[in-house]
Amino acid sequence: MPQPKPMPWTQDTSEAAMLTSSSKSTRARVIAMVLAGGQGERLYPLTRDRAKPAVPFGGLYRIIDFSLSNCVNSGIRRVFVLTQYKSSSLDYHIHFGWDILSHALGEFVRTIPPQQRTGQSWYLGTADAIYQNIYTLEQERPLLTLILSGDHVYKMDYRAMIDFHLDRAADLTIACIPVPRAEAPRFGVAAVGANGRINDFQEKPADPPPIPGLPDHCLASMGVYLFNTATLVRQVIADAKTDSSHDFGKDIIPRMIGSHAVYAHDFQDKNKKPQKYWRDIGTRDAYWEANMDLVAIDPVFNLYDPDWPIRTAPITSPPAKMVFNEPPPGGRCGTALNSLVSPGCIISGGRVDRSVLSPDVRVDERAEVTESILMEGTTIGRGCVIRRAIIDKRVHVPDGVTIGVDPAADAERYIITSNGIVVVPREMHYA
Amino acid sequence: MPTILIVDDDEHQQILFEEELKDEGYDVVVAGGAREALDMVANTPPDLVVLDVAMPGMDGIEALGQLLARNNRLPVILHTAYATYKDNFMTWSADAYVVKSSDLSELKSEIKRVLAKRSEEPPAQ
Repeated sequence: MPQPKPMPWTQDTSEAAMLTSSSKSTRARVIAMVLAGGQGERLYPLTRDRAKPAVPFGGLYRIIDFSLSNCVNSGIRRVFVLTQYKSSSLDYHIHFGWDILSHALGEFVRTIPPQQRTGQSWYLGTADAIYQNIYTLEQERPLLTLILSGDHVYKMDYRAMIDFHLDRAADLTIACIPVPRAEAPRFGVAAVGANGRINDFQEKPADPPPIPGLPDHCLASMGVYLFNTATLVRQVIADAKTDSSHDFGKDIIPRMIGSHAVYAHDFQDKNKKPQKYWRDIGTRDAYWEANMDLVAIDPVFNLYDPDWPIRTAPITSPPAKMVFNEPPPGGRCGTALNSLVSPGCIISGGRVDRSVLSPDVRVDERAEVTESILMEGTTIGRGCVIRRAIIDKRVHVPDGVTIGVDPAADAERYIITSNGIVVVPREMHYA
Repeated sequence: MPTILIVDDDEHQQILFEEELKDEGYDVVVAGGAREALDMVANTPPDLVVLDVAMPGMDGIEALGQLLARNNRLPVILHTAYATYKDNFMTWSADAYVVKSSDLSELKSEIKRVLAKRSEEPPAQ
């Protein structure tokens, strides 16, 4: 698929231009609020015991690490993570992995559970999550507030968006990515004028408006919103006094079009690939596919670029080890090819191909693991065959078990996604 | 006539506001503090609340959040001797902010405005 050309209002992102314009975004007082309270029902059973942003991803990471890395890499060092459902795992990860900034300089990544200062219920929607945290905004008094989602995978320099926002004296700027028109009904879609100003915004439209000059593409909202804080506060208060669904995409943004300066910022990808990369990890299939995006020789999403490091909690496991190199035919050979293998893994005479292994996974002799995601502490017994599966933490698959080979047998025992991926829940016991 | 709940910890001011608003034709009830006001609103909801900010115990800013959490359509006017809270985001969910004065004409006109605005809105579902 040909990549659409940059939008006409796209700013000059050459290095020289960035150097001269970067001062604005660094002077402005910006805080980020990462929405991390969603239940993530469509990721079940991966979300049975943890919030969606805490779901392990790419071997070492949790999904929220991408948004948090983008913040830190963009110089945004005052970050609140708004937690809610099953927040214990996420809370632990943030405290253990992200207490890396200087408190003395007023920098932090911090979780806030619901305070019930201005609400008696848990968050009713994304806008209500901000409404119930107006107290935090009052304590911080930032000029701009960046609202992010804790379950998106992408690399973005938010400074470019901040400069864009300040240059246009916008009230709200929404980061957008061109998507094929056929896929657009899944997203919030913006219709823009020549200068990037949004003149219509619809959530999940049946008939999405195309990009002018690009009839096969639409501008999809990435769920990345940059607000003037005063505008944000007024909007979420007005919304709280209605019976709306209290959602930014459905309620707040459509209401602001026309009365406020709302702009679309053309996402400038730091992933350095021909195709811009942004994924909403909303479903188990999307989760599996996004993990598979990491393992190719030339992966569509690159974790290895030192210019845009993705950070996570420190790992204390020893180096990964692959053992047995007995000659064919019949010899045991421990290999992992086209795969991500985390520290602590031991591939002991088994074969791993196109897979993602979290720390401390063990694959025993003559086992075959293909196109699968194995989470921390899981062990695969001798002679197992595992294909197109997601196996959550600390599952001990006994010798000789096959997963992803016999769909009928799998359906009796496991959850099967619409794309046929087999999902084995955390700590599942085999009788 | 609409019922107005005055929340103020100062007895002299309670009497003054009650008399003046009764003269305007409103039914007036009075609470001497925020917790009492929350109970009164739960039992017999008024049409509008005039809420002092600096009070012992729960202050008016916290009470405002609690009142709206119980009824998101309840009209509330903050009525305080201090202008400084006006900049505080937590006060922005009030329908009006009136600085106390011996001349109550601003309070009266804001009450009229807020009640009129509320009667134009569609009822809660």
